[in-house]
Amino acid sequence: MSEPPEGRRRLPGRRTFLAAAGAGVGTALAGSLSACSAPGGSSSKGVTLTFSWWGNDDRAERTERAVRLFEKANPRVRVATSNADFGSYIQKLATQAAGGGIPDVAQLDYRQVSQYAGGGALLPLSDALSEGAIRSEAMDAEFVRTGTYEDEQYAMPMGRGITGFAYDTRLYRKAGVATPHPGWTWREWTAGNRRITELGERSPDGRTVGGANDGGVNEDVFEVWLRSRGGRLYASQTRLGFTEDDLTEFWTFCDDLRRDGVVARAEDTAQATTTETSPMGRRLVAADFTWDAPFPGYPALLGEQVRFAPVPTTGGRQGAYFKPSMLLGVGAHTEHPKEATALVDFLLNDPGAGDILGFSRSTPPNRTVAARVAKTLKGAELDIYRYALRMEEYGLDAPPTAPPRGDVAIQTAFNRTYQRVMYGLATPRQAARELIDEAKRELRS
Amino acid sequence: MSTVSTRAPAGADRAARPPEPGGPKRRRRVRREKQWPAYVFLTPWMLGAAVLTLVPMAVSLYLSFTDYNLFEAPRWVGLRNYTEMLTEDPRYWRSVGTTLLYVVVAVPLKLLLALGAAMLLKNLGRGRSFYRSAFYAPSLLGASMTVALVWRALFNDGGTVPDLLGAIGIDSGGWVGDPDLAVFVVVLLTVWQFGAPMVIFLAGLQQISPDLYEAAALDGASRWRQFVSVTVPMLSPVVFFNLVLEMIQSFQVFTPAFAISGGSGGPADSTMFYTLYLYERGFTASHMGYAAAMAWLLLIAIGVVTLVLFRTSRSWVFYADEEGR
Repeated sequence: MSEPPEGRRRLPGRRTFLAAAGAGVGTALAGSLSACSAPGGSSSKGVTLTFSWWGNDDRAERTERAVRLFEKANPRVRVATSNADFGSYIQKLATQAAGGGIPDVAQLDYRQVSQYAGGGALLPLSDALSEGAIRSEAMDAEFVRTGTYEDEQYAMPMGRGITGFAYDTRLYRKAGVATPHPGWTWREWTAGNRRITELGERSPDGRTVGGANDGGVNEDVFEVWLRSRGGRLYASQTRLGFTEDDLTEFWTFCDDLRRDGVVARAEDTAQATTTETSPMGRRLVAADFTWDAPFPGYPALLGEQVRFAPVPTTGGRQGAYFKPSMLLGVGAHTEHPKEATALVDFLLNDPGAGDILGFSRSTPPNRTVAARVAKTLKGAELDIYRYALRMEEYGLDAPPTAPPRGDVAIQTAFNRTYQRVMYGLATPRQAARELIDEAKRELRS
Repeated sequence: MSTVSTRAPAGADRAARPPEPGGPKRRRRVRREKQWPAYVFLTPWMLGAAVLTLVPMAVSLYLSFTDYNLFEAPRWVGLRNYTEMLTEDPRYWRSVGTTLLYVVVAVPLKLLLALGAAMLLKNLGRGRSFYRSAFYAPSLLGASMTVALVWRALFNDGGTVPDLLGAIGIDSGGWVGDPDLAVFVVVLLTVWQFGAPMVIFLAGLQQISPDLYEAAALDGASRWRQFVSVTVPMLSPVVFFNLVLEMIQSFQVFTPAFAISGGSGGPADSTMFYTLYLYERGFTASHMGYAAAMAWLLLIAIGVVTLVLFRTSRSWVFYADEEGR
């Protein structure tokens, strides 16, 4: 086994923890595997790159095909891929980072950029950008900037995502709820959900079909709700932008709807991890809050009558915003920076790769690619493309700055703190106080 | 690698020093000559113990006094991780409560079942080895992720168990989604693996001299009386051994809870066991220092409980060779 170059490993950190906890052996193995997989120096023998991402099966299949195309264009380079669902991906990447070996090319969440860049885990890409090794002329400069940290480019956005509701047009029509438009309000949304519940439609397991999933567990829903009222999640990298009263009000709103049977039951919310296990995927409710990239999974599962609707507003103010839904970074300690940046460039700019990837990571940042792909879009992908255009036209508030590092932890805390409300173990106010205490501890460190 | 190979033999050397100081020099040399091959053979193990256990433990202890997010160098924060855990983090205490509940329920249940099965098998003639293997199999399989996932499916909404219970009029709903029941899905998975302590009980039962039962029978003791007055005291060292072992394992329960809750410790933290919370603090929230501190408190807690068990064992564990005491 070749030892990786000097100064990059913090072996004791990783090993210690494993010995002490006796846990996470599998992920650690994956970490050490990727650290060993690329033997030193690029030689004539060829080069093996590692590339990992998160996402559903459709995205995995398309990404594999795009990677094979890259290999064909670069016969010297082989790409070893791996993927997982979001939750385990975050943990796996952290484990790999602890061993000093994140993959040569890794898909990153917006939240991770500051954390990984600040910790020296990512390769600066400004030179590659100015030399044209990564082409960005067809991209919106402001959008490319979302991959910077302290004025240095560390990651390239791969897709521009936006939130919305997957909703069942048939149930909406039957209940007499007007087709959602970008200016519809939370009040209209609530009334619509009540009417759908009053229809008394039966789900496959015999229960009454409700209006929507319970957004109380989802920090993203809280954010769009907050933004529609002019608020924000974070005031700075160390301070929250909302108060205990804001969160109490939001959780009370969700809690009341759930008690009235208008949104999904606690058990169904707690067990939802994928589109298939979500309340809507199980045909228990008529709508589900989601991102545009995974939206096509809903019509694929439930039928064409499922479309993508805007997030409700407060008095016409839209809380949704365009966000770099995922970015690509190069591991700081890659032994093949040239090939790794070439792969990044290929995935972002190659027309062939663009055709294959389509909108599997929502709107591609390269305008030429996006326009080209848009012409071929059908069904759900066309739906989300049109949705984005429509929301652009409607006008959205400026996106927030990159969330602080602690947001990864706060996001999970948000989910489980609300679960205590769902199961009647805490009142919305008690829960809000607990979450804010935890968030403050998270932001101070 | 070089630091490793110079360090470990030094440790080995220290360990090689004979334990009784002041003995005759000659005898000492002879003994050492006889001992050195043993240490040569032990070297691989000692290397492993030093590099994979002792050094990491020392680093872990150091990290528990730092703020370490995996990316930047650890920052010394003194006792802050410990004070935050004990005074500011309600979820920490909930995870302690959940783990204690689990230990207190799962360990006795598992041992009772193991003892019961061992008693049944003891008197079984033909087929004993078959049943012994059959009961033991879950212990081999049970630790795997796959079985935990099957277990999740069995107890989930619309799964086999809620359906069967529904058929006899008990409407339990999905256990996995119910914070009051989810922990018992994990308990049942553990108890189902009673085979390992059962095999040890069985071996223990076979060690009890038939003479004792014969004598008891002659004195007119009923089977229950024989069980209470012969089996239990004679078996108490084995009970003690199993109890300590299972207790230590139960405090560290991780895989089943991870699989059954989908890694979240939910619903509503009801399966958020100590180790699962520790894992989340370390690998999701990137607070490795905090996680290390949690690991050390767990070690201390298990140590204390084990010590208490050993202390109390003097009053209830009966060793045959101490009979005339």
